[in-house]
Amino acid sequence: MSDLNNGISRRSVLKGAAVGGLGLAAGGSLLAGCGSKATGPLAYGARSVDAGPTAQNEALIAAYTAKTKNEVKYNATESNAFQNNLSQYLQGTPDDTFEWMAGYRMQFFAEQGLLADLTGVWDSIGDQYSESYKIASTGLDGKQYFVPKSWYPWGLHFRKSMFQDLGLNADNVTNWDEYLKMLDGMKKKGLVGFAAGDKGGWEAMGTFDIINARVNGYQFHVDLLAGREKWTDAKVTDVFTHWAQLLPYMNPNVLDLEWDGAMQLLLQKKAGSMLMGSWFGGNFKEQSDADYADLSIIPFPEINPEHGRDTIDAPIDGWCVAANGTNNDGGADFLKFAGDMEGVNATLAAKDKDGKLIPMTSANSGQDTASYDPFQKEQLAVMAEAKYITQFLDRDTRPDFAGPVVGPAIQSWFKNPKDVAKIQDTLQKQWEALPPLA
Amino acid sequence: MSSTAKDINKVSRRRAFSKADRTTLSAFVGIPLFFHLLLVWIPALLTILLSFTYWSGISINRIKWAGLANYKNIFFDTPAFWEALKNNVIWLGWFGLIATPLGILLAYQIDRQIRGHKFYETAYYLPVVLSLAVTGIIWNFLLRPDGFVNGLMGRDIDNAISFFGNYNINIYVILTIASWRHIGYIMLLYLAGLKSVDLSLREASALDGATEWQTFKKVVFPSMKPVNIIVIVITIIESLRAFDIVYIIYGSSAGFPILGTLVFQNIAGEGASMKGAAYAVILFVLSIGPIIAYLRATFKSDVQ
Repeated sequence: MSDLNNGISRRSVLKGAAVGGLGLAAGGSLLAGCGSKATGPLAYGARSVDAGPTAQNEALIAAYTAKTKNEVKYNATESNAFQNNLSQYLQGTPDDTFEWMAGYRMQFFAEQGLLADLTGVWDSIGDQYSESYKIASTGLDGKQYFVPKSWYPWGLHFRKSMFQDLGLNADNVTNWDEYLKMLDGMKKKGLVGFAAGDKGGWEAMGTFDIINARVNGYQFHVDLLAGREKWTDAKVTDVFTHWAQLLPYMNPNVLDLEWDGAMQLLLQKKAGSMLMGSWFGGNFKEQSDADYADLSIIPFPEINPEHGRDTIDAPIDGWCVAANGTNNDGGADFLKFAGDMEGVNATLAAKDKDGKLIPMTSANSGQDTASYDPFQKEQLAVMAEAKYITQFLDRDTRPDFAGPVVGPAIQSWFKNPKDVAKIQDTLQKQWEALPPLA
Repeated sequence: MSSTAKDINKVSRRRAFSKADRTTLSAFVGIPLFFHLLLVWIPALLTILLSFTYWSGISINRIKWAGLANYKNIFFDTPAFWEALKNNVIWLGWFGLIATPLGILLAYQIDRQIRGHKFYETAYYLPVVLSLAVTGIIWNFLLRPDGFVNGLMGRDIDNAISFFGNYNINIYVILTIASWRHIGYIMLLYLAGLKSVDLSLREASALDGATEWQTFKKVVFPSMKPVNIIVIVITIIESLRAFDIVYIIYGSSAGFPILGTLVFQNIAGEGASMKGAAYAVILFVLSIGPIIAYLRATFKSDVQ
């Protein structure tokens, strides 16, 4: 009896296990089915080794893996090294999805057939983004090759407490004369007015961008960078003439400081203002919450009333899928998640080592701007005032022109500001000497 | 040497190789030759070829013949090239006239076993153990606007001494850093050479009443010809191929242009590799020219 019972019970247990196993398997496939197609493991190439972005990426990847069960291999490279190696990287065995920038720099590689078409991703998440982001993500052939993550504006940054101590009101700095007067006041108090660094060769490009846009307008700026206008134009001379008026208010060691050195001047209250992308706010926050709360941004002042303050550099960072990767579908599937509000929320929930949230202004219109901190709200206001949005000099023109040609040209201008005509001449000649793209 | 003696010499050198010998020999010569051609000469020739083309570094089928356009652009429209060349020439001058002679002087003094020579030898040689990149990192920490030296002087970054950013002094700062290592390197090479100089030569010249300087100039220096050649070649090559320290301190920007960084700046990054190739070819011609000339002159006098 007992033997028989045991036999039956054992058999039924086995049977039950089999059914359970089937059920589990079915459940698994159902789960995968409702998330997305099973696209298998993929590799993610990060363009930063800094703590903040790494924490964000890890949070995003964890959320993706939890949802789809797809393993993601994380490869991080320091951003300069990543950039220097990108051509070789994309032609070799790249990660399936990698962090990159919108605009010309993306289009350059899309044109060469190195990026995978992401039109499908845009079909499913495109309605979460405003038109300008779609344009910035679109290649010259009309297809999308990029999914935006976040943006930040370039503007004049200052410390509220410093302005208070100096008896200044940022609202009164709307045009060039007012700005120069303010800088003069700072100089008389022994302060650096306009903190600047250009040792890296790219930092001062932002100053060129904004002065050119203010003096000559958006259209001239983009035409110049696309080669439709000439660098020898008197309008470009005018940019340097205005820029030269800032020189007396800059720290003398512009070519000895990188962006972070200039930021230190502002952080230590040795400089009154700095033109920079707001992304460095994260560094202020790392310093202390009080420093971050003290940080403020206004648009660069108007120079030519015809153009007002209608243009802004607001670079968009995001992701592409490498055409030569082993798993293009996996890369696209990941970006569908990352670009969707679900992925954005996972990124926004990331915390730094002190357990604080990492500030980010997402490109996704689903991010509630009411949740923005005061500094982010100011960024949004600066952005809202602009009619035209540019990326940044090294993202709006040919990469083989920006880094190797414009960077050194601006550095040589700092060495000898009287050399403007010669510098313009060599800029134009070197543009003309670039290899044809197609 | 008479001509018959020469013939005998020749004949005695010619040996009959067995089949196994020949196989071994051809393997030992052939395999390294294959890799040498594959990894050195073919890329070198391709680089030369690339320098005459237009190519963004992506999709080889888009490459276009450019003739001399890249060189024309470099020579006539790229001020950074002339600035870089000037810096390399100053570098060479500094190494040739200051750093290398200093290294030789040190070697000579240490070889005379002055008091504490073991200590000096170690102290001066120590920097050579470090790679150039590490040298750059160390000095960058010391001399940056927010670095050790400025901190020691109580200077903040807004009034820091601009060791790397002031274009009147930065080349000498860089050269001092480079010499810090180069002097020890030359010293060690020369010291090894000095040890091999026959002591009786010195004794003889001392007995003849020669001064220390006369002994060095007329006896020691000429008898060290092989080492001298190596030292000269090393000085030229080190000056022209300079890259590491500058790259560590200035990055790939043109903050301090020298030919090495121009090659890198144009080859790395996104495109324009053909211009980087042209810089590399110019650097190659500059390096190979003086070295071949010097070696030829030396070997000629050896044969005589």
